[in-house]
Amino acid sequence: MMFYIHKAACISPQQTFGDIDIEQLHVAVDNKLYAIEPKYPHFNGNALRRMSKSTRMGAGAALPLLADNDKPNGIIIGTQVSGMEENGKFLNQIIEYNEDMLTPGSFVQGTPNTISSQIALINNNKNYNLTHVHRGLAFENAALDAAMLVNENPAHTYLLGGVDEISANNYTLDTLGGWFKKEPCPSDGLYNSTTAGSLSGEGATMFTVSGNQAGAIAKLSAITTIHSSDVAVVKERIKNFISKELPDGKKIDLLLTGENGDARVFPFYQACEEILDDQTAIARFKHMSGEYPTASSFALWLACNFVGGILNIPRHMIKRHGDLKSLKNILVYNTHKVGQHGCMLVNVA
Amino acid sequence: MDRIVVTGIGVISAIGHSVNENHAALVMGKTGIIKGGGNFPSRYSGLLPFGEVLVSTDELKTKLNVTQPGVTRTTLLALHAFKEAIADAGLSPDELSAHDTALVGATTVGGMCLTDELYANTHGDTENVEYVRSFDYASVNLFIQNRYNITGVVNTMNTACSSSANAIMYGCRLIKNGLASRVIVGGADSLAKFTVNGFNALRILSDEACTPFDQNRKGLNLGEGAAFLVLEKESDATGKKNYACVSGYGNANDAYHPSSLSPEGDGPYLAMKSALESAGLNPADIDFINAHGTGTENNDEVESRAMLNLFGTLPNFASTKGFTGHTLGAASAIEAVYSVLNIDRQELYPNLNFSEPIADIRLQPVMDHRSAAITHVMSNSFGFGGNCTSLVFSKP
Repeated sequence: MMFYIHKAACISPQQTFGDIDIEQLHVAVDNKLYAIEPKYPHFNGNALRRMSKSTRMGAGAALPLLADNDKPNGIIIGTQVSGMEENGKFLNQIIEYNEDMLTPGSFVQGTPNTISSQIALINNNKNYNLTHVHRGLAFENAALDAAMLVNENPAHTYLLGGVDEISANNYTLDTLGGWFKKEPCPSDGLYNSTTAGSLSGEGATMFTVSGNQAGAIAKLSAITTIHSSDVAVVKERIKNFISKELPDGKKIDLLLTGENGDARVFPFYQACEEILDDQTAIARFKHMSGEYPTASSFALWLACNFVGGILNIPRHMIKRHGDLKSLKNILVYNTHKVGQHGCMLVNVA
Repeated sequence: MDRIVVTGIGVISAIGHSVNENHAALVMGKTGIIKGGGNFPSRYSGLLPFGEVLVSTDELKTKLNVTQPGVTRTTLLALHAFKEAIADAGLSPDELSAHDTALVGATTVGGMCLTDELYANTHGDTENVEYVRSFDYASVNLFIQNRYNITGVVNTMNTACSSSANAIMYGCRLIKNGLASRVIVGGADSLAKFTVNGFNALRILSDEACTPFDQNRKGLNLGEGAAFLVLEKESDATGKKNYACVSGYGNANDAYHPSSLSPEGDGPYLAMKSALESAGLNPADIDFINAHGTGTENNDEVESRAMLNLFGTLPNFASTKGFTGHTLGAASAIEAVYSVLNIDRQELYPNLNFSEPIADIRLQPVMDHRSAAITHVMSNSFGFGGNCTSLVFSKP
């Protein structure tokens, strides 16, 4: 299962949209990394007010990829719950008004398939349209869907995205669940932290993908998902994935991991690092994106820009330099909330 | 390529807790839509009719031997139908945990059935945290995945009312693309203040039993339930009961409005058309359509026009929403089971509560239980966000 990536756009807590600068690190405030949103000049005020933040960011990141009236043959989005802030507003209204005199705006806006359907509306796109919501593998499953579509129709082009937002509701719930740090944690101290939890993050990343190699910036040559809480099982599965998918004589030049400062999750990243020899460079991204269920889409955006020679790896990302002479093969490994793991192999096109 | 066959089915809905119970109610024309079922705490319980599964959440836990905390009603309904489907297909524990067994489920409520608990937690209740890990959609299938040690592809989708049709389509594509040999596909939703109040605020809930395709329809009734189907490659299923094959599917977007269908019904038309194309069939080959038929003014009129545009002269059609209510993320899976029964039992089930055709359209659905020669059935599901999916099931 593979596809070529032709365009990529990303709205994230870093300067990744418009004039891109990922050298200068934008840091977390109160353990949250909020996305730097553009002004969305293409949406009028009324349209903007009717969008949840997820929809706004998702549609905003998709727009540059749909310029020249390009109509992808499908729109595939991964998101955990999409408009959780709007969902939360509606849940609050239900309780506070005792299920009476409610307005439907937040209910409609909070539906997770609003991102893909809003993009379809903007693009007047009546083609395939699907929203994957499998928590920490929502994006990987969306990418697998896109890979199957490309396998079924190699000449077609698809819009693939990963979107999630920080909302008061999910931040509170996930903090109660132990997934965000309870003590203040600066971005530059994230990887030295010895406690549970990470920084909270959000973002929207969009790609146009197809089976066409010409003009592509990167190739996603393989993807796998693993469901296990056992470090040994996960290590074995990643090892098998690499030996099966990486052609003989090639090596992983860079391991890009979702290490996130959560002491409970660290053993999985450590196990993955142990699979690769000292020559492999290691870089991390969660101090840039924060932790969110579809953060691997941010990692794929970085990987495409690195193998495509569009961006250099900033110093603040590097954990181990290794022998980084050329950058042709990147392994992205990410795990979310222990139990869901995704691997993506990204190569030069 | 091998055909993809249905080797196991499981369903729980307002008209029964098993395939046999559902079938008996379909044959008898016995609705499950009632007021005041007693298991759904809401100010609308007793005021509005619902397609409620008449078993309490605690009873479900006991029956299914679920003792761990944090398991929601949505998950329990899913587990109930899942268990029936895998037993029906005779899947062994080894087959379930094999790397080439996939689970694709759909839900639009997931853990959000716990409106009050969520409210308490998001407002700082740190003592009752049983459900903070299960508030999302994925919690349903992650529970099943853990319980049965499923190691293949596991996925959850939410495209509103067409969610589980997309789960079925996705499962077929996993097999066709070589990513799985067998898939367990379906969907589940429980009645929730979240959806009841959402649909009520949109003013599309009827205060009486719904009357799909009737001129005087007043809206839909929400329901709850779950259904799963086991799909396998025909060559792997020799010697097994083979209910039907999934012969086609089509997914399209109406690209018109967040919560209503376009007057022309482009999305429904395109979904049905591409399902036929994928099955390699002509409109005249379809013997019966299990329509989406929610009973709302918008859906039934648009769906009628779209069917007329595609089929010219319509085959027999009916909506089963008058039995179960609209079960949202479970609807397409439940109706897939009913479509499979249409084929397996060679019979049609009535569209309940119909008396007067929609003016200008004049379409009349099937109104009684009767035997019929059924080779190909189309099942329609159209959702918010314009997400439309049609499936075609065929005689094996």
